Amino acid sequence: MARAMTITIHVPAPLRACCDGASELLLSAPSVRAALLQLERSHPSLYRSICDETGAVRRHVNLFVNTSHVRDREGLDTALVPGDVITILPAVSGG
Amino acid sequence: MPERVILCIGTKKGLFVAEAPKTRQRFALRGPFGPGVAVYAALIDTRGTPRLYASSCNAFFGMKVLRSTDLGKTFKETRSAPAFPKDDGRALANIWALEAGDTKEALWCGVEPASLFRSSDGGDSWEMVPGISNHQHARKWQPGGGGLCMHTILRDRDRVHLGISTGGHYLSEDGGKTFTASNGGVGAGFVPDPFPEFGQCVHKIAGHPDAPGRLYMQNHGGWPDRPGIGVLRSDDYGHTWRSISEGLHSDYGFPIVVHPHDPDTVYVVPLEPSTRTCPGGAPAVWRSGDGGGSWKRLARGLPKKESFFTVQRDAMDIDEVKSPALYFGTTTGQLWIGRDGGEEWNCLFDSLPPIHCVKVALV
Repeated sequence: MARAMTITIHVPAPLRACCDGASELLLSAPSVRAALLQLERSHPSLYRSICDETGAVRRHVNLFVNTSHVRDREGLDTALVPGDVITILPAVSGG
Repeated sequence: MPERVILCIGTKKGLFVAEAPKTRQRFALRGPFGPGVAVYAALIDTRGTPRLYASSCNAFFGMKVLRSTDLGKTFKETRSAPAFPKDDGRALANIWALEAGDTKEALWCGVEPASLFRSSDGGDSWEMVPGISNHQHARKWQPGGGGLCMHTILRDRDRVHLGISTGGHYLSEDGGKTFTASNGGVGAGFVPDPFPEFGQCVHKIAGHPDAPGRLYMQNHGGWPDRPGIGVLRSDDYGHTWRSISEGLHSDYGFPIVVHPHDPDTVYVVPLEPSTRTCPGGAPAVWRSGDGGGSWKRLARGLPKKESFFTVQRDAMDIDEVKSPALYFGTTTGQLWIGRDGGEEWNCLFDSLPPIHCVKVALV
C-alpha cells in the first residue's frame, strides 16, 4: 500500500553513484518539480546532475513520466499521481 | 628533490596522466580518468604533497572537479564543483582554468560563462568572486568560437591577471576584490574600434615569476587589415601592451608559453588564421629568445607536410628541468615533446583523443 502512494524514480546507471548505488528512489510528490525539489534536499549530487543552477533540466537529460516525455506534457509542472514512474535518461547525443 | 615528470593530458574523452623519470626517455601512460568526458583544465599542484586536479565537463550531467592525491593513479570527484548562485540566472557550461591559490588548499577556477570562483578547501566547496563575475562589463562579453570562457588566471601576490575570450585582459591589484579592463594596445579585428576598452578575443596570457611586470599575450590575430595584434608583450604589469608579432609566419595562434628559467624566452604556435591549422601542413613552434624581438622556427622532428591539426590554448606547457622540454597536444590526438627547449621533437603518444590541455610538473 505504501508503494501505491509513492512515485518511483528510476536512476540511470551513470548517476547511481549519486545515491549510494540505488537504481530507484521512492518519494511522494504532486508534480515533477516537487519531486526534483525533494531530490535536491535528499540527494543534492543527483539533483545537480539532472538540473543546472537555474533549476532547468540539463539539455542532454530527458525526464519521462511513465512513457511520456515531460516536454510533451506540462514540463516540470506535470502532475503526478501515486504509482507514477519518473525515468531519468541521458539523451541520445555525443560524438 | 623532484625525481619525476608528471604530465596531465586533458582530452575530449577524459584525462590521461603520463609519468617519466627526469631523463624523460620513456613515459608511462595511465587513464582515461573520467572516461568519455571532456577535460579542458588541469592543475598539478606541487605545494606540499602533490595533488592533481582536472575539470570533467560532462555534457549530460554537468561539471565535476576531479582530484588525485596519489599522482594520478586514482581520481575522485570533489564534493562540489563551481556553481552560480541560484538567483544569478547563469549556469555553468564549462571549466577552463584551475590554478593554485595563496594557501595550501586554496584554488582558483575560471569558467564558462566567464566568471571566477575560489575554493579554500581543495575544491570541495566554491564561492563566486563577484569583483569580476559581476563586473559591469560581464553581461556585455560575447562568446568566442570556444565559448565565453575565462581561460587564464595569473597571480602575482595581490595582482591577478585574467584572460577572457571574448572579454580581454582584466587586472586586479587588490587580491581579486576589484578588476579593471586593462587592454591598452590590445587590438580586435572583429569590431569597428580597433582598440576597444574591452571585448578582445584574448587566447592566452603567460608570465614569469622572476619578471612579474613582463607578460606575454596570444591575442586573436590574423587580420589582414589590422596586422600585428596577435602576439603582444607588456612591461608594466599588463597596463599596456605592444606588438611582438614581427618575424612570425602568422600572428594567429592559441597557446603562449614562457621558458621557466628565462623570462626573455617565449614560445608560440602560429596557425593559419582562416583554418586554425598548421601553415602549409607543416607544424612548428616558434621561439623568441629576446622577448619577442626576433623569432626562430623550431620544427626538427615534426612532420614536414600533411599535418593540419590545431594546438588549443592550454595544450602546450614546458617543464622545469634544467634543459626544459616543451610539450604540446594536438586536436588529432598526438602528444609531442620538444627536448632541449624545443630543438628536437618526438611524438610521445600518437593516438589519444583530441587534446584540450597539457600540464607538466616535476614532482
